[in-house]
Amino acid sequence: MTVHVASVGMGRFGKRAEGLIALGAEAANLALEGVGRKPVDLLVVGSMFAQGPHGREALLPRLASVLGLEAASGFRVDSSSGTGGMAFHAAVLALESGRFERALVIGAEKMTDRSTAEITKDLAASLHMSEVAAGATMPGLAAIVTSRYIQRYGLSDQICDIATVHARAMAATNPNAHFQKAVTLEEAAKSKPVALPLRLLHCSAISDGATAVVLERGAGPATVLGLGQGFDALRIVDREDLTGFAATRVAARRAYESAHLTRKEVEVLEVHDAFSPFLLMHLEDLGICGPGEGLEWFEKGWVGLSGRVPLNPSGGVVGRGHPVGASGLAEVAEVALQLRGEAGGHSIGKLPKVGLAQTISGIGSHNFVTILGKEGP
Amino acid sequence: MTSSTTIELTRCEACHNRFLPTDGPCPKCGSADCVPYPISAVGRVLAATELHYPASGWQAPHRLALIELTDAVRVLAIVEERLPVPGALVEVRREGDVYKGRLEPA
Repeated sequence: MTVHVASVGMGRFGKRAEGLIALGAEAANLALEGVGRKPVDLLVVGSMFAQGPHGREALLPRLASVLGLEAASGFRVDSSSGTGGMAFHAAVLALESGRFERALVIGAEKMTDRSTAEITKDLAASLHMSEVAAGATMPGLAAIVTSRYIQRYGLSDQICDIATVHARAMAATNPNAHFQKAVTLEEAAKSKPVALPLRLLHCSAISDGATAVVLERGAGPATVLGLGQGFDALRIVDREDLTGFAATRVAARRAYESAHLTRKEVEVLEVHDAFSPFLLMHLEDLGICGPGEGLEWFEKGWVGLSGRVPLNPSGGVVGRGHPVGASGLAEVAEVALQLRGEAGGHSIGKLPKVGLAQTISGIGSHNFVTILGKEGP
Repeated sequence: MTSSTTIELTRCEACHNRFLPTDGPCPKCGSADCVPYPISAVGRVLAATELHYPASGWQAPHRLALIELTDAVRVLAIVEERLPVPGALVEVRREGDVYKGRLEPA
């Protein structure tokens, strides 16, 4: 059964006064208005912190009530920072089952009312306990992966600055992005150290925000063409390779196969750059370029708004901000906006036929790839 | 740095995978048929970082290195002296729940 993204709702990402329910409802109402408030019979919600540390239980029934969707069915999903990607996949599969007509998917997170230390601790809960026991954090393991990538391909720490400059330049064109100002290579290189070689401007920011999409049966400019997911060892020492994410390579292969497409047909990308140098690794893992070739794509401008394959025109996680439960859905939503010609100031300047969104959970332990586009030749 | 110092790994009798001991079965094939397997404690740094905001219980700056031991087994170890460069030789030991690496004198 064919399913397509019929509308997208996104509020501003950043430091917001509203709480989790209000943020989720804002995005949901925008998406529902986009389909003329046609009835929704499935609600899928994703949020990482809404239970446990935040004590905001019953997120799903609360949102159903606020949105007047008590007659719908619902699921809540969680895959740490990949939650939004998983929520989208779950909703697609549910519609494809034929049991539902129209689904509202919401990814939402409230983070800025808590301390950086608390957030760092909770994010580290998605890592292997033995590595956290040794002092590792999410940025710490991201730094190990980045250091390995730099060493393997004979590069320098400057790849982090180059990737950040790209992300922030893109974000400056997106009014919903957390960061509205571009940065220079020097500003990135001189920002305070977090986990070397990663510095503050190389890391995604703690952010509030929500995204919603309405999925419907039938075809449109943002039809779901392919889905894929993949796991990797939770403990990074057990991974075969640390110059990228094997879970993305598995997810991408499955998504390309299910879409009957190759990477050559992808015209726009939104990927999960929790840390800016991941941009290079994601390009390689998705097969857009070969191993170690990511830097060239930045240096030659091939990832720019009018480049060969525009990369993260929204600013991505580093530029748009990282409300963890929302980011994965925002990635899919941004691709849908480009395909539907609704991306406004961060439009890639043409209507692409095929776009790809990639989302990672934790330090790449469970990744999702979604291919959207116009069905048929 | 003596090559005679050893560190204990686990070897899976089913698939012959060698890995850092875990509480569970073989991370590759899931077999519980695993035995202790000592190897040389000296390895090479593949990657390293200096954390300025380490996980709770540790003081900044906190240095971690990914070290490759014999048979391509990797370990994430705390290195106290300085941020090691990739390729540096490190002697790894287990201390309670964590691994610590000692660098060759600079």
